This record gives sequence, structure tokens and C-alpha cells, in this order.
Amino acid sequence: MLSDTANNVALQQVLAKMEVTRKRIAATQTKGYIFIAAGILLGILGFILGFPLAGIISGLIPLIYGGILLFNINDALTAYQNAYKTNVIGAALKFLDESLSIKPEQGIEASEFMYTQLFSTEPDRYKTEDLVSGSADKTRFYFAEVHAEYKTVTQTKNETRTEWHDIFRGIIFAADFNKKFNGVTLVRPKDFGAAFGAWFSKNLFSFGRNQAIQLENVTFDKTFVTYGSDQVESRYILTPALMERILSLNHQAKYTISLSFIESRMYIAFPLNRNYFEAPVFKSLLNPETVDQDISTIKFMYDIVKELDLNTRIWGKD
Amino acid sequence: MIIALVIIGFVFLVGIFFYNSLIGKKNQVTNAFSAIDVMLKKRFDLIPNLVEVVKQYTTYEQGTLTKIVELRSKAGSPNISNAEKADLDAQLSSNIKGLMVNIENYPGLKANTNFINLQTTWTESEEQIAAARRAYNASVTDYNNSIMMFPGSLFAGMLNFQAIAVLETAAEERNNINAKELFNH
Repeated sequence: MLSDTANNVALQQVLAKMEVTRKRIAATQTKGYIFIAAGILLGILGFILGFPLAGIISGLIPLIYGGILLFNINDALTAYQNAYKTNVIGAALKFLDESLSIKPEQGIEASEFMYTQLFSTEPDRYKTEDLVSGSADKTRFYFAEVHAEYKTVTQTKNETRTEWHDIFRGIIFAADFNKKFNGVTLVRPKDFGAAFGAWFSKNLFSFGRNQAIQLENVTFDKTFVTYGSDQVESRYILTPALMERILSLNHQAKYTISLSFIESRMYIAFPLNRNYFEAPVFKSLLNPETVDQDISTIKFMYDIVKELDLNTRIWGKD
Repeated sequence: MIIALVIIGFVFLVGIFFYNSLIGKKNQVTNAFSAIDVMLKKRFDLIPNLVEVVKQYTTYEQGTLTKIVELRSKAGSPNISNAEKADLDAQLSSNIKGLMVNIENYPGLKANTNFINLQTTWTESEEQIAAARRAYNASVTDYNNSIMMFPGSLFAGMLNFQAIAVLETAAEERNNINAKELFNH
């Protein structure tokens, strides 16, 4: 990937131009922070030396100046970050495949997030951005960054405390699946709770419409729990070959992925703990590593279609 | 006295629970087998159309076609056992495979939309049958496990539950790419 970015002339030109803006923003931000720090320091010094009024007045001036500097550069920063997404990430996408494009302000809606059936908790706070869409050969796909949270409110004597917890943070990927099917098949990471739930639903009582599905691939069964509305249909989707491919895809991801197959579409949730496609302020854009990390994410998503062999259309679905 | 009654009652309840769960699993096996049957019937129903289309274009495949029609009418007759049906299906599959390989020699047929549709439906049915067989094997394994493992083995022995054999999957069915190779020979 390193050589790819370095050799892409168009991308290098965009980066060089944006690097100037980045330096200006970084310099202004540094200056702003220094003034604020100096203001606070002066105030404290005034208190220590016994001239609190003089300290406050002399400290307030640099503090306000620093604040104004940061405030003024804020618009430029937003513009710079958007330009990074549209120009740098956009160019990298086009370089990979002409059909790919990014819409920074769009994403995957909360309703679609719930529609995947991978998450049972309704989010109380939902953020989504950076929708990338396009196609790899015959298969249309899109993905976006999603951060969904729920809140818990605890009442104590004097106050109510609200805490936010992650339902999911990462990338949701959706693609057309190469087979027709009517039901729902869910593949979730196997933790203790999920394993117990599957055992319970298989042996004692099954909640809802979905049954636990035991697959013959032992590694797959150890990594995931599978639920489906139809035993045969779930196996029609999860062929031995596809199970192997899912395992190898999972192996490349940092955290265990979840998949759902609904109405001839496939969703994959990749949990991540960092923001993607965010322009660096205090790190050079010309350092290939900065952009490479984002590009390898895009490449990874693009290659899923190939990895899962979704372009093979021999089952009566175009 | 009360303790003895409680223990007997408990054993009785556990017995009922295991018995019901075994019956449930056995029915699941029957159900899974009927799924294979449905898929096989779907596949057999494709054959007359396939034979019709192939007949129009080919001249040298009459022998194979006659054989296929014959096998299909045998498979369609009402009083044959499941094992016979599976065997007929295997023979049919291998004959059709042979036919598909020869289709390379008939460009007109290869381009026929009707034929292409039949091809995709055929591969789809292959994959669906494979899925149904895997589902059947999974439920058989589940059932066998519960009658062979303690404490289910106690009840199974008393109530005469017998282990069921799983279906052997043909090597080519393990890989879905083969279906594609078959047609794009």
C-alpha cells in the first residue's frame, strides 16, 4: 500500500496542497493553546504573589486572545477535514475503483442499523458519517462509520447521573448477496452469553422466530453462534466454502465480526476503536503512514466482495 | 416417606423431559429428511424441460437423454424407498454432469436463454440439496448425541431409541465452486 500512495501523482499533489493548510492550522492552534496556558499561568501567579486582581486582569487578556485564535481557526479546520475526506479519501477511492465515492455527511441510518438485527438494543444516541458506496465488479456495496450508544440513568439522593454505553462502534458494511433467500440468518460472535443462549434455544426453548443453527465447521461454530429462520436456507447461504471465507475475513479483522443475511443482502459489522478518515492536524499528511491506514481500510472493505466470492452469480440471481 | 415421594416425582419429571426432548429430536430428523425430499422433487421436475431443450440442439446425446428420462420416471414413482431415491438422484446427477460436459460441442444450445436459465436453476437446486442434506446430518448428529450421551443414554436404552446413520456427502458437493466448473467447462 505504501508504494501505491507514493506513486499516485494526483493524490500526492492534493496532499502537498493540503499540507500547507494543515501547517497553518497546526501553527494557529499551537499559538492559541500557548496563549491560553500563559493566561492561566499569569492568573495563578497573581494569586500566589498576592495581587489577585492584577493577576486576573493580566491573565484574562492572553486567555481571550488564545480563545479567539482557536475559534477563528475552527471554520478552517472543519473545511480542512471535509476537504481531506472529499479530496484525499475521494481520490484514493477513485484510484482503487472508478465506481467508488464518499459522502462525508451521510451514513447508515439508525433504522437500517436496527434492520440488520445484529443489535438488540435501540440506540439513544446515534452518530453516523462517511458513507462510501460503489461496486466491485457486479456486486454493489456500501459502508459507513457508525457509533450507537444507549444510556443508563442512576438516581442518587442529590443528582441523576446519566452514563453512556456503546452498543456498537465501528463500520457497518452492506453488500448484495449472490443468492436469493427469504428468511433471516444471523452470525454473531460467540461469547459466554451467546453460547448459553444458543444451547438454551436448541435444547430447551427457543425465543422468537429464529432457531440456533449448528454448523459442521468446528472452527466456525467455536467462533460464532448462528441463528436462522430456516435450517436449510441458512445452510444454503452458509456453504462450507463461505464459512471458510468468513473465518479468513474474521482473522484479518481486529475484533470478531458479526454478519446478517436479510432479504438477499448481507451486512457485516466490524467493531473498531478509532475514527476513520479523520484528517490529522499535528501529523504531516506527507508521511505515507497517515493516509495509508485509511487507504488500507478502504481496500479491506473493497476486497470483502472478492474474499467472500460474491461475484459468482450462478444461482439465478443477477 | 415424603422425601422418597419427592425423589420419585423428580425422577419421573426428568424422565418425561428427556423422553419429550428425544421425540422432538427424532421428529426433527424426519422433518429434515422431508426437506431433502422436497428439494429432490424440485430437481426432478427440472428434467423434462432440460431434456426438451437439449433435444432440439443435439444429435449425438440421444442415449444419455433416454437414460435420464428413464431414471427420472423411476424416481417419480410413488413406492420407492428413500435410499433408492437417493441412489437414483446420484445416478441422475452423474448423467447430467456428463451431458453438461458434452454441451461444449453445441454452441447454439450454450447460447439458448432457456437453457441458461435451466442451468442456473440446476446449480441452485444442487446447492439447496446439499444444504438440506447438511441440515439433515446436523439433526441426526444432534439426535444421536442425545441418545448416546449420559443421561439420555439411560432412557434411550429403555425406550429402544436407535442411532441413525448420517448421509455421506459426495466429495463434489462439499465445494460450491464445482457447480460452476461443471457448466463453464
